Amino acid sequence: MRLLVLAVLSVTLMVVDARFTVLKPVRSQMSLVLMQSYWIADLPQRLYQGVASQFGSRTELIAENEKLKTEALLLQGRLQKLAALTEQNVRLRELLNSSALVNEKVEVAELIGMDPNPFTHRIIINKGERDGVVLGQPVLDARGLMGQVVELMPYTSRVLLLTDTTHSIPVQVNRNGLRAIASGTGNPERLELRHVADTADIKEGDLLVSSGLGQRFPAGYPVATVKEVIHDSGQPFAIVRAVPTAALNRSRYLLLVFSDGRSPEQRAAEAAQAQEAIDHPGEAAATPATPAAATPAATPAATPAKPAAPAASSAAPSHAPASRAPATSKPPVKPAATKPPAAAPATPRERQ
Amino acid sequence: MVSHAPARNGWVVWFTFLVGLLLSVSPLPQFMEIFRPLWLALLLAFWCLALPHKIGMTTAWMLGLAEDVLYGTLLGQNALILTLITFLMMSLQQRMRMFPMWQQCLVILVVFGLAQLVQLWLSALTGNRQPTLALVLPALVSALLWPWVSYGLRGLRKRLKIN
Repeated sequence: MRLLVLAVLSVTLMVVDARFTVLKPVRSQMSLVLMQSYWIADLPQRLYQGVASQFGSRTELIAENEKLKTEALLLQGRLQKLAALTEQNVRLRELLNSSALVNEKVEVAELIGMDPNPFTHRIIINKGERDGVVLGQPVLDARGLMGQVVELMPYTSRVLLLTDTTHSIPVQVNRNGLRAIASGTGNPERLELRHVADTADIKEGDLLVSSGLGQRFPAGYPVATVKEVIHDSGQPFAIVRAVPTAALNRSRYLLLVFSDGRSPEQRAAEAAQAQEAIDHPGEAAATPATPAAATPAATPAATPAKPAAPAASSAAPSHAPASRAPATSKPPVKPAATKPPAAAPATPRERQ
Repeated sequence: MVSHAPARNGWVVWFTFLVGLLLSVSPLPQFMEIFRPLWLALLLAFWCLALPHKIGMTTAWMLGLAEDVLYGTLLGQNALILTLITFLMMSLQQRMRMFPMWQQCLVILVVFGLAQLVQLWLSALTGNRQPTLALVLPALVSALLWPWVSYGLRGLRKRLKIN
């Protein structure tokens, strides 16, 4: 009798959980307590690492320090080049009048557990709803995309990895932009490209980057490298196997990408406001130095403002009075306001 | 006699369940994941044979819910399976007491195997189909672990006089 009641109760729960979202708060409250067990189960390894780092020998530490210093130097060098390239990229994009590539914000999260079920590839990380994580958020490691957030709990969340059998990601070949869909195979070292034509230009060693077409993953992050391409004349499509670039089963520290969730209109309005904020002190001081100084700030809102610098610097000394300002600031705003050209320039005009 | 004795050291039972929950999520090497024994089911099987007046299907159901939250499966899936296991063990209780250890292991193997088949059926319904034969491995490992779990917990129970 009790079996019957409990069985009916669990079946009802399963159906409700699968179809509706009523049980989500219950689950998240329960997870608040229960997810500690992942943390506790992980404790021995954490302790071991702590002890190992405490008693790491001096020479080892010195060697590691040296290595890190050289690496930092190398990365800084590369970063200098990157700044120049980013600026150039923004200018070229403005020439093409296309939407600007927005700098995504990232946050570091730590792996605290693997899913015990060996047939799914899911991991648990130590950032949750309270840290601003959202459902479907992309997760990276240092080498490439890892997966996306599929379940939110208050202080933890579950991430579905790229190699899970239920996961697919739109990619493109970095070399020529050929688009494809990479599906997980259940093997942590393998992705398969589905429905790639036999004659498609894809070969061993090609880097696959995310194409951003699914509106879920940001474009341009490395996903996998092609390992083998098999042309079987009996099959309608080529069999393409790739190895994920991210260390899916080894990385302990992950990056959560906070991509820009704003709509193009909002982004345009905010860009216009930022533009105005830059213009105003420029008018007050009437020096070209202010807009120029504002340009190195690499925030997404400020990047599109870069072209304003040459325009404003040429205009500001000659036209110090504020009445002339809207005319000078108008053309640079247009590319900055990413999508609707009609609405965006209107904002600064109304305000002045 | 048993009913007269005050309930003692009941917290130890819950402590073992807590340890069981920890063991069921503890990290294992990749190749050993498919052999992970059903710790909670083993503990439930022992305690519902030893303390049938205390540990029953309701306990099993609640522990199953906890496991569902931990595993991220549908709420109720593991609850149903643990309830089923407890029900079968309780209905076989009188026989299990008479059986020698190897026969007990066989019973555990069959019961857990059945439960795993229900698990397979449920997860196929929800869309994550799993390789069939590998699913029986946890039941096998659990059956092999049963003597140790059984003797260990019996010793614990005698030592602490849990009832």
